[in-house]
Amino acid sequence: MTDKDTGTGLLEQAPAPSQPPLRAGRRFEFKNLGEVLALVGLIAVFTALNPATFLTPENLRTILDHASLPLIIGVGATLVILTGSIDLSVEGVMGAAGMTFVLMTANSRGSADLGPWAIVAALAVGVGLGMLSGLVHTRLKVPSFIVTLGVWFVGLGIATVLFGDQSIPFLPDGGIKAWPSTLTFGVPNAFLLAAAFVLAGMFVARFTRLGRFAYAIGDSEEISKGNGIPVLRYKLYVFVVAGFCSAAAGVLAALELGAGSATVGVGTLFLTIAAVVIGGTSLGGGKGGILRTAVGVLMLTALNNGLILSGVSPNIQSAVSGTVLIAAVLVATWPHRSRLRIVK
Amino acid sequence: MSNASLAPRTGVDTPALKLTNVSKSFGSTHAVKNVSLEVPRHEVVGLIGENGAGKSTLLKILTGLYQPDSGIIETDGRPVKFRKPQDAVAAGIGVVHQEQSLLSNLSVAENIAMNALSSKDAATRYGFYRWKQLNQEAAAILARVGSTIDPRTKVSDLSFVDRQMVEIARALRVDEAIHAAPLVILDEPTSVLERNEAAILEREIRALRDIGSVLFVSHRLDEVLRICDRVVVMRHGEVVADVRRGEVTEEELFRLMIGQESRARVRKGGSATGAVAAVEAKGLGRKGHFQDVSFAVSPGRSLAIVGAMGSGRESVCRALFGTEPFDSGTLEVAGSTVQGWSMRRAVRQGLAYIPSERKVEGMVGGLSAAENLTLVHPREAARGPILRRKARLKAAEEWFERLDVRPRDPKLPLGRFSGGNQQKVVMAKWLRAEELSVLILDHPLRGLDPGASQTVNDQIRAAQEDGAAVILLPDTLEEALEMADEILVMRDGEITARFDLAVESPTSLDLLEKMV
Repeated sequence: MTDKDTGTGLLEQAPAPSQPPLRAGRRFEFKNLGEVLALVGLIAVFTALNPATFLTPENLRTILDHASLPLIIGVGATLVILTGSIDLSVEGVMGAAGMTFVLMTANSRGSADLGPWAIVAALAVGVGLGMLSGLVHTRLKVPSFIVTLGVWFVGLGIATVLFGDQSIPFLPDGGIKAWPSTLTFGVPNAFLLAAAFVLAGMFVARFTRLGRFAYAIGDSEEISKGNGIPVLRYKLYVFVVAGFCSAAAGVLAALELGAGSATVGVGTLFLTIAAVVIGGTSLGGGKGGILRTAVGVLMLTALNNGLILSGVSPNIQSAVSGTVLIAAVLVATWPHRSRLRIVK
Repeated sequence: MSNASLAPRTGVDTPALKLTNVSKSFGSTHAVKNVSLEVPRHEVVGLIGENGAGKSTLLKILTGLYQPDSGIIETDGRPVKFRKPQDAVAAGIGVVHQEQSLLSNLSVAENIAMNALSSKDAATRYGFYRWKQLNQEAAAILARVGSTIDPRTKVSDLSFVDRQMVEIARALRVDEAIHAAPLVILDEPTSVLERNEAAILEREIRALRDIGSVLFVSHRLDEVLRICDRVVVMRHGEVVADVRRGEVTEEELFRLMIGQESRARVRKGGSATGAVAAVEAKGLGRKGHFQDVSFAVSPGRSLAIVGAMGSGRESVCRALFGTEPFDSGTLEVAGSTVQGWSMRRAVRQGLAYIPSERKVEGMVGGLSAAENLTLVHPREAARGPILRRKARLKAAEEWFERLDVRPRDPKLPLGRFSGGNQQKVVMAKWLRAEELSVLILDHPLRGLDPGASQTVNDQIRAAQEDGAAVILLPDTLEEALEMADEILVMRDGEITARFDLAVESPTSLDLLEKMV
């Protein structure tokens, strides 16, 4: 605030700036760089440990390939977490959507072949389950933690019923099954799809009402309401988006697996939530972003990949991942620990 | 509002806001009684009154949160009815609330435009933001109030005075929708500000006169007299004075606000019953909150600490009880200096604390009244780790009888009792303690009806007679004059006066002079 007191005790009318004082470029803040530095450090460490294997094009492709699913899910998960809720239904939605997709496209069981409509149907299943989560959470006022935990198993149930007691539905070799791992510009298609999701997600978070209101709601639902934001409606939208992302990931996972399976998503929930948090999005809502989640996903995938290459026993890998998650949360919340008087 | 689309009448004499005989009562209490007032265009009108004078109720009526029982509200000469906050906004009334109402993780521009963003507006198209336009609009509005904050700054990076400027800018944004001169209501906007920040804000408020009118609510009388063209004084829900600046002095405003002065009666008996103070603070301080606070309270005596908002007296009490730290000075309890003071130790030493935020800090609404009653000292109603329901109920019934808690069913969840009865249970929770040595009460009568207030005050006196030292943060000065043996006055974290009521009998005016 500039001081306009001229010393006469009277208020001088401030000359209205003809041009708003716009600063050039985005603000660059060093503190926002921590996660990127950690990723670079991780890559440096593993390159030093495995000079011949880690930083090769093949291995980088493997990392990007493995990062695809959590990146896609991470977009929806970040939006949900930004509002201060959480979506645990990821694996169930993936199972239901993946199974829907396999059974509606050309498969060994020959149940149906709707061509591209199979993808639409699978996405619709995800949107439907997301809407279910959102509606129960906002209208019946059930904590999102519980609702989505339930929807997780509803999704698994749907997938199991669809699977039935017949033979495993396999996708035919070649064709769409090969699409995710096909290289375009030297990068697997699966990762390109994931990158498209991330870019779209970043756009939503920065340039749309949905994204901005998600931040607002996460900051304070009360104040958001007072500002006229239809809080419940936007929370519902966010869950629908998350369901959509999970379903897309389910289709991709089914393609990569080449068969229908209810448990196609096993293990992705932990990886995604961990990536969101490690990236620096606060579980309390309001702070963070989708690019951060992307960095978090790359960190965790590089970590897992590097541990394997370094010969660390797979038996202790999950313990390492868990430790990294807790350490990351600790580091992220350390400066604010005095304010976190009650942690639930 | 159905008539928002009509062109506003812009006659010079038409006041921006006019109230005629507006009343609102809750049950048998008249919160606002036949209030008539005018806010002319291009004028800053001050609204003052004590706690409970009806200011907040009046504001809630003006912002559409309450509907008046009777009376007429006119804006720009047209009668209006505000059924919801949006109606008030549509009529060109913007409010800067006492509490911050900005979303701290969004940018200044977003906050200024928020009301518009959440409805259909040019700033968004099909749900997509147009940042450039948003930032330019915000910069233009900020320039109107003479502020040069970068609209892209995150609100959490702003100082408090800048946040207030953003709030004011947003209140002005409201009017552009209908192109009338806006009315900005400022509800104690300086209470969170430092002195020099408040001075900046003052200048900006005076400048608002050029573009609209202002209703300025405050309890700092010097400030009101500096900023406002006219001052409206409320007392007991009624307007008791409507005066122009220059026609009154600060003292006269005091008197109008308080009504007749009340004077403390001189206390009987000596000044102290015990040689050792139950609690003694020596030069207690906490950076940014309070400093050099010294006092001693002997068993059976009571001390009231009075002060305006921001005086730091709440922090002092919390420090005594170990819920807030202090970083200088010493605290002695029963004659010995405390080390590593915490709430747990305080309770063990027989300190009790009745918080002002009863619903948040003082009770567990979902548990039964009986369970609440035995929360602090569960041992008497338990055998080892096992709680004994019967013993608990018996204890509860006893206290329900003694404090006349209604309904007389300690098994009901405490959240379902009325405020007064909740407070009685919260009191009983502490009074049960056999070793009660210091009773700290933070606004114990807030929101209570006269009957419940009487019971609470009786219990405070009874605890005092049983040898407890009482430290009271009263709601009103009358309460302090009635209940206390000694009164401390605090301002901006420091003690500005002390009165021993055994030897002197100050009036409420004497206290107020040291408060502001």
